[in-house]
Amino acid sequence: MKILISLIIILLSLSLFAEKSNHQTFIELTKNLRCMTCQNQSIHESDAEFSLVIKKIVKDKLKQGESKEDIEDFLVQRYGEYILFEPMFNYKNLFLWVSPFFILILSGFILFINLKRNR
Amino acid sequence: MFTNFGFYTLLLTLLVNGISIFSNFTGFKKIIIFFCRLSFMFISISFISLIISFIISDFNNLNVFQNSHSSMPIMYKIAGAWGSHEGSMLLWIFVMNLYIFLFSFNKTLKFKIKRWAIFFQSILIFLFCLYVLLTSSPFLLNPINVNEGLGLNPILQDPLLVIHPPLLYLGYVGFSLIMSIALAGLITNDIEESWIKVTKIWSLFSWSLLTAGIAMGSYWAYYELGWGGWWFWDPVENVSLMPWLAGLALVHTLSITNHNHFLKRWAIFLSILCFSLSLIGTFLVRSGILTSVHSFASDTTRGLFILIIFFVVTTFSFLLFLVKSPKEKNNLNLLFINKPTALIINNIVMLLACFTVFLGTIYPIIIELSLNQRVSIGAPYFNKTVIPIVLPGLLLMSIAPILSWESNKFKNKLIYIYALILLSLILIILSFFSTFSVFGILGLLLATWIILGTLFNIFQNLRKYKGKKYLFFLRTNNSLIAHFGVGLLILGITSSSVFQKEYSNSIKLNEKLNFDKYSLQLKKIDVVDKDNYQGLVGIFLLYEKNKFVGEIKPEKRFYKSNSMITTEAGIYNNIIEDFYLVIGDRNKEGWNIKFYVNPLVILIWLGAGIMFLSGIMSLWRF
Amino acid sequence: MAFLKKFVLFLPIIITIFLFGILVSYLLSDRDANKPPSALLNKNIPNFSTVNLFDENKKLFKKDIEDKVTLINFFASWCIPCKQEHPLLEDLQKKFPNLIIVGFNHKDSKKDAIKFLEENGNPYTFIGIDDGSIGLEFGVFGLPETFMTDKNGKIIFKHIGPLDKKTIKTNILPYLNL
Repeated sequence: MKILISLIIILLSLSLFAEKSNHQTFIELTKNLRCMTCQNQSIHESDAEFSLVIKKIVKDKLKQGESKEDIEDFLVQRYGEYILFEPMFNYKNLFLWVSPFFILILSGFILFINLKRNR
Repeated sequence: MFTNFGFYTLLLTLLVNGISIFSNFTGFKKIIIFFCRLSFMFISISFISLIISFIISDFNNLNVFQNSHSSMPIMYKIAGAWGSHEGSMLLWIFVMNLYIFLFSFNKTLKFKIKRWAIFFQSILIFLFCLYVLLTSSPFLLNPINVNEGLGLNPILQDPLLVIHPPLLYLGYVGFSLIMSIALAGLITNDIEESWIKVTKIWSLFSWSLLTAGIAMGSYWAYYELGWGGWWFWDPVENVSLMPWLAGLALVHTLSITNHNHFLKRWAIFLSILCFSLSLIGTFLVRSGILTSVHSFASDTTRGLFILIIFFVVTTFSFLLFLVKSPKEKNNLNLLFINKPTALIINNIVMLLACFTVFLGTIYPIIIELSLNQRVSIGAPYFNKTVIPIVLPGLLLMSIAPILSWESNKFKNKLIYIYALILLSLILIILSFFSTFSVFGILGLLLATWIILGTLFNIFQNLRKYKGKKYLFFLRTNNSLIAHFGVGLLILGITSSSVFQKEYSNSIKLNEKLNFDKYSLQLKKIDVVDKDNYQGLVGIFLLYEKNKFVGEIKPEKRFYKSNSMITTEAGIYNNIIEDFYLVIGDRNKEGWNIKFYVNPLVILIWLGAGIMFLSGIMSLWRF
Repeated sequence: MAFLKKFVLFLPIIITIFLFGILVSYLLSDRDANKPPSALLNKNIPNFSTVNLFDENKKLFKKDIEDKVTLINFFASWCIPCKQEHPLLEDLQKKFPNLIIVGFNHKDSKKDAIKFLEENGNPYTFIGIDDGSIGLEFGVFGLPETFMTDKNGKIIFKHIGPLDKKTIKTNILPYLNL
């Protein structure tokens, strides 16, 4: 049993080192960007003029070796955080990101205490 | 003529419900049942009048003028009656009335509870009638004289418009009855077996229909929007998901409530929560304060009214809950792994998922109001929060139905554990030969574990069960079957999102393009001319390793009445995979096409269908 | 502990009231789901350099407008709402001849742009050619868009879509005490 579990862990950690290709980053990135002229649609899904322009910018910048974060920063400076579908992890969004997990852990904890008491 | 007819019967519905509310405080309390049925009669006439106005293309009716066209097929004319904001709100009232009408025939509940339930439902109906009459009447007369309508939004001109909104509303609005029954229970302070049973029946019914409605909506989005996806975490979707999640918690809670006062109180709370979420959700999508990919009519002034209804109804209900909720105490028999514990975990997880969806939907509004900045909260956020949150609940799912009430043990424990480990090992090794993804492995692991676990249990029960009444067997095992459906659903979700392949290119006539092991050939472009649109149908031949597989026919339509272009994805399904093709614009290099290969995507709707059916089937038990 | 229990019991009502308050004030605050607030608000004018539409030798740089109240308007001949707001810009220019109105001709052909101005009049102090890169720096995504800058080179107001009399009155005129 222990051998099996450790095998799983080893295999999992091995596979985490796989590198992402430029194309994968491109898709991931454009899926996270809002088409500003569309109705709640991502750049990836949209063929609007705006999306085509941003797609080209992203492609060029990836070719120049810029990272995903660089490109996101570049666009956020101009269009605001609104362009990112995944809200940034900052003070403003702290509650948004933390509260679900905080409540999960808290309620798990309370449940655990109750279980222990009942035993 | 029908327009006026509809208007006055709607007015009568308002009146009857007003009297019905009043009659609850007079000497003739029995009469409230009569009023409730009378109200149903009036609203039916009103609703049918609207449908008839659409069928006969009566453009003297402003709503018909704005949302219909004489060239539309009869099917869409009928469905056009609920294709607009106004009409759909009339459908809303109709559904509320339908539920209370059916409820009025109940014979198991004490009259006292029944009366109060009708009373509360009448208040809701009254408020919504007022809302429709004052802000969004579908019975306004057209100020100008015209012979032709503006036409229905082309995206809505789809067979699913006939069935999706009514089904969705039967679920979504059905929670209003559950809330009314809960409030009736609170105010009479008389919550016993029959109350639980009735709540159980109606919540299972509404929830199952909501499941079907949401699944159908996602299928519609899948082939209509043409982005190869079926769920976009769009506000309109989230809003239907929230009551669904809360309803899920409610349905599970009710399954064991018989035994416990604490759970009764909890079930009442959930009943109130479900419909409150329906109300706030309706506000969010109808007020137009959020943008959505789905076509939806919206208006700010109309939003305010719904918001006030939400506020009044929800505050009142929660206050009543605070004051009158049953006070008896007894604790739950929570053990490390028995049914009550599994249930608590289910509830925590589902409500937390619901909370997260709600937070993600509402957070941009809070931020914009306080900081004058706008943030987007989209799919990446929900995938990163909701999915990890529901994981623990899903892990429990394959075994939960067979857990015992009291004891800490369950049979064949080791089999499950070994199966889980073995499965994960197989999956990880397999993943080395294809694309690796943590979500992929987790999803597949969960799905296979749930499917195998539930199947194992179903067969165990089947062995014990030697009788011939298979229908009875299905009914009593409905929770296992529903969980089996969830397993399929997760399998479909995981494989179609993680292992989806996407290609785009331009193709010329008769050209053959290769996409990995598949190739597509554009045979010809057909022009079709229908009454309401002109369409271009691309006829593509699909080959796998140069062997002919089938034809895919994606379409582009130009709707004449509103000069709009829509896409209809072409889908070829061979059970295992969906080959999904969208045709785009034409340029120098030919037609732009997007080609998706979605493995096992059909399991999503198969799974949801099984969940729906098992929910409906379980009703026969009562 | 007792207080905590009470609080939890009241939580649904508190949340309901909180939500109601937020949503009502949002509804009444006259916001548009399709018009997000600009990311550049209260930030410096982005760097740019542009060539005059009529005269290739004339150029305009960020430093030229940094110390003056300026109205920056992105327009194009292919943009229909631009035509709609054009007379209002003309009015502004007539009423405030000293106001600098910089027009950026966004992704347009020179010929069409000149024709557009001939037909509709020219309220601009300077018209620069924008191949799209200046629009990108300003975060422009839908024409027309109008920016207002102050004497410190900061962007103090942005409007998406055609200007209307109300917007000019409430958001532009107050800054124009020239």
